[in-house]
Amino acid sequence: MPAMNTLELRAASTAELRIAAPAGVRHLYIHIPFCHRRCAYCDFNTYANMDDRMEAYVDALCRELAGLRTPADLPPRALTRPAETSSAALLRADLRPTIFLGGGTPSMLPLPLIERVLAAADALISLTGAEVTVEANPGTVLGREYLRDLRGLGVNRLSMGVQSLHDPTLRVLGRIHTAAEARASYADAMRAGFENINLDFIFGLPGQHIQQWEATLREITTWEAAHFSLYSLILEESTPLYAQVVGGRVSVPDDDVTGEMYERAIELLGAAGYTQYEISNWARADHLEPPPQAAVGSRLALPVRACHHNLAYWLNADYLAAGAGAHGHIFPQRYADVLGIDDYISKVRAGQAPIAEITELSKRDLYAETMLMGLRLNIGVSYAHFRDRCGAELAEVYASELQELTALGLLDCDTLGVRLTERGRLLGNQVFERFV
Amino acid sequence: MPDQNRIRNFSIIAHIDHGKTTLSDRLLEMTGTISSRERRDQLLDGMDLEREKGITIKAKAVRMDYRASDGEIYELNLIDCPGHVDFTYEVSRALAACEGAILVVDASQGIEAQTLANVYLALENDLTIIPVLNKIDLPGAEPDHVAQEVEDVLGLPKDEVLMASAKAGTGVPEILEAIVERVPPPVGNHDRPLRALIFDSHYDPYKGVIAYVRVVEGSLTSGAKILLMGTLVQADTLELGAFRPTMTPLAELSTGEVGYIATGLKEVGDCQVGDTVTLAAAPAEQPLAGYRPAKPMVFAGLYPVDSNAYIDLREALEKLKLNDAALSFAPETSAALGFGFRCGFLGLLHMEIVRERLEREYNLDLLITAPSVEYQVLQTDGEILLVDNPSEMPEIAKIASIEEPVMHISVIAPTRYIGTIMDLVTTKRGAFETMEYLDPQRVLLKYRIPLAEIVVDFYDQLKSRTQGYASLDYTLAGYQEADLVKLDILVNTTAVDALSLIVHRDFAYANGRTLVEKLRKLIPRQMFEVPIQAAIGNKVIARETIKAMRKDVLSKCYGGDITRKRKLLEKQKEGKRRMKMVGNVEIPQEAFMAILSLNDD
Repeated sequence: MPAMNTLELRAASTAELRIAAPAGVRHLYIHIPFCHRRCAYCDFNTYANMDDRMEAYVDALCRELAGLRTPADLPPRALTRPAETSSAALLRADLRPTIFLGGGTPSMLPLPLIERVLAAADALISLTGAEVTVEANPGTVLGREYLRDLRGLGVNRLSMGVQSLHDPTLRVLGRIHTAAEARASYADAMRAGFENINLDFIFGLPGQHIQQWEATLREITTWEAAHFSLYSLILEESTPLYAQVVGGRVSVPDDDVTGEMYERAIELLGAAGYTQYEISNWARADHLEPPPQAAVGSRLALPVRACHHNLAYWLNADYLAAGAGAHGHIFPQRYADVLGIDDYISKVRAGQAPIAEITELSKRDLYAETMLMGLRLNIGVSYAHFRDRCGAELAEVYASELQELTALGLLDCDTLGVRLTERGRLLGNQVFERFV
Repeated sequence: MPDQNRIRNFSIIAHIDHGKTTLSDRLLEMTGTISSRERRDQLLDGMDLEREKGITIKAKAVRMDYRASDGEIYELNLIDCPGHVDFTYEVSRALAACEGAILVVDASQGIEAQTLANVYLALENDLTIIPVLNKIDLPGAEPDHVAQEVEDVLGLPKDEVLMASAKAGTGVPEILEAIVERVPPPVGNHDRPLRALIFDSHYDPYKGVIAYVRVVEGSLTSGAKILLMGTLVQADTLELGAFRPTMTPLAELSTGEVGYIATGLKEVGDCQVGDTVTLAAAPAEQPLAGYRPAKPMVFAGLYPVDSNAYIDLREALEKLKLNDAALSFAPETSAALGFGFRCGFLGLLHMEIVRERLEREYNLDLLITAPSVEYQVLQTDGEILLVDNPSEMPEIAKIASIEEPVMHISVIAPTRYIGTIMDLVTTKRGAFETMEYLDPQRVLLKYRIPLAEIVVDFYDQLKSRTQGYASLDYTLAGYQEADLVKLDILVNTTAVDALSLIVHRDFAYANGRTLVEKLRKLIPRQMFEVPIQAAIGNKVIARETIKAMRKDVLSKCYGGDITRKRKLLEKQKEGKRRMKMVGNVEIPQEAFMAILSLNDD
């Protein structure tokens, strides 16, 4: 493992710790932890009623970003695609550089603060040519002007959490917007010049039934959005919704029903011209890259509107992260920043790296994570990708697992690599657990 | 040699939680045997498990020196005895080593079934009983009422009842005085050949089996060769002494004294509770009465979850056996579970203790099958077969008749629960024997009931249906013929031998129905549909289907989640390791015990 690929944690002076990013890391996650209100199902690191810290938080964030230096003297990694890797191999190298402002609700930040964050990010990863995503809550009064200016700052992708088109459900979830407001915000974003918009929806919601979900699917497929993320509701233990469901005050559809909802989504989005490229993600198929020569069928290609930032995660690439509770990954380490907003601000002010935790990964962890992330993609994990990322042969490391899962009809193996079957996609955990 | 007239040997008998252990500690403190500073909480209950379950498993004996109000110093030997029905025999041997017993009764709870059973045991052994009402300082205490109950039910005059709060220490000096005044000194003849009663033992890795003895006649000096009259095993007296409270060597143990003998023997089975120690050179003519080899009553299969741990399990059982004469085990093979052991226990509590010790002290992951009893099967060819494992039951055509062990049970409960208890006992094939009012509010009910029905969940049911008020005691009544059938359980069309059970024909359908329903809930959905059937012979009497798993996938996984999700998956995988693959179906451990809670809902 060459030194440039490792995360260095250096104590330059007594109180100064910093992460020095190796060259070639081209993905950056920035966490904006502010929210108007916490949603009933959310277990992310978010805080309501702390808006008065925004200015100080952005100060700290910019300082942390300035500390994540990329040594400039190393040449960027070649982006040309070698002939023999015509499939998904070395796809990580094909990804555009990305910057992702997630939250929380980044769209709560006033434009001047977003501008400062992006400027600090630009010093690490050039905004030019990068995919720059901002998460937006359709309920934060976005306004056409705000959206237009956001676009003008170089943000070229919006990810909007619509979640549901059923107002009573939105209230149960604790969302601050109505379905009508979500529709209006989406239309505003289109008009403001965003072509690359993702819309988040959740199914398996309290009280939801198949017909209602189908109606939602039928409506949204007419919106011509570039991208959809459709999530089956995950009840996280620390959330109010979990307590309500466990306490019997709220009931959610069982796995049989959500399984059917999922299949309806696959069917209806497919019919409307969307390509599913990950367990919960679809992109408009009209700009598909021509399938590579060696690929068997178009399912092995990625739609161009796929989220490159998330692809970096699924391809188990290295990425930097900044902000309270943000997680970065520079193999063989993952690091996480401190969770609390005030804690974060004071650590950075004191000149310390705001890092809460560094996890060392073994080779075995790398294999497992490469598999459980990569198999989420419809293209699966190619032998070339595994070899490139792990320096080992997939078919050797996991010989018995591949055999068993193929026999169970959960996995397809061919000359290029391995991927989930349709059934395997519904039973992903059963597959993933074989690799950990 | 101590003056025999200044020895007092006594025990404390009580229902669980009535305060026996606290009182023991107070006696040790007040006689200066231990200081309260060095006192660990509940000194006599040495094993962790005992402390957790609040019961005393192994009897122990502590010697105290007490200066009484008459100015003389007395040697008091406190013999601790177990307080649970599984250990009735051990209790009776501990009591046989005493001349007196302190009966502790909770001043608010009153007499319980076990209290009564232990008092009868004490009376059978001609013990002088000193009744003590404990916890008199608690708000719910009704000392007058309970003292009257003691007089009415046990026939002990209420003006002899002492009042105490062992926790606060009040009444304890009076108890010490009463021991000296009321308990008679031992009467054995010092000049006769040695006869010493073994009332407990433990295994010490350096000194071999340590026998806890009461010298009934004669005396024993260190170094003498001894003979155990029941097992006819000879041993050396490597060391002898008394517990004060730790092992303190002495030169001699003489008539009336209580102490220990280090025998160098390798297994407690050679040195069983109830056996008589005599001198090999000058043996006594007759052993002491009452010896009975430990006999297991409840049987269950113990299997390692990881089949590679079979040898570890065998070694662990061998080690436990060193210290537990009542535990029996023999290798057995199950088509479903692989290699394991059929183990015999005194009762359900004993089984639970053994299982927990194996898991905790030997770090074994165990699978235990539903407990069974030993059936006597008369075959059509006239041969009698002993069957303690349902899967070994011969086929129906070869069976002429089956006899099962039945028990006498005594239940004491408030009168308002009579109907409830009757209902429960009827569903458990019990037959009413007698009913006796202890006072206007409390009743003693006696039944005859098959042991197989008790080992399943009788005690829990009794407790929950009477809001915890009922207490239970039982003894073996004998064997009795019954119309029994073997109920097989088929998972994915394959009979799982470890799930078979013997039931009465009249209850077979209902049991089969409940069991398959229970298993449907306990066995997680697999990647294919799994039918669960109950069958008698070839006839399926109940069926449920576990639907194939449809969806199990994390819908979201992004950058911050990866390691957390990986760990989650690792945990899920670890959980599956605790399941047993039977054919191609993963069956969790609880499923094999499902029978234990057949009547939960």
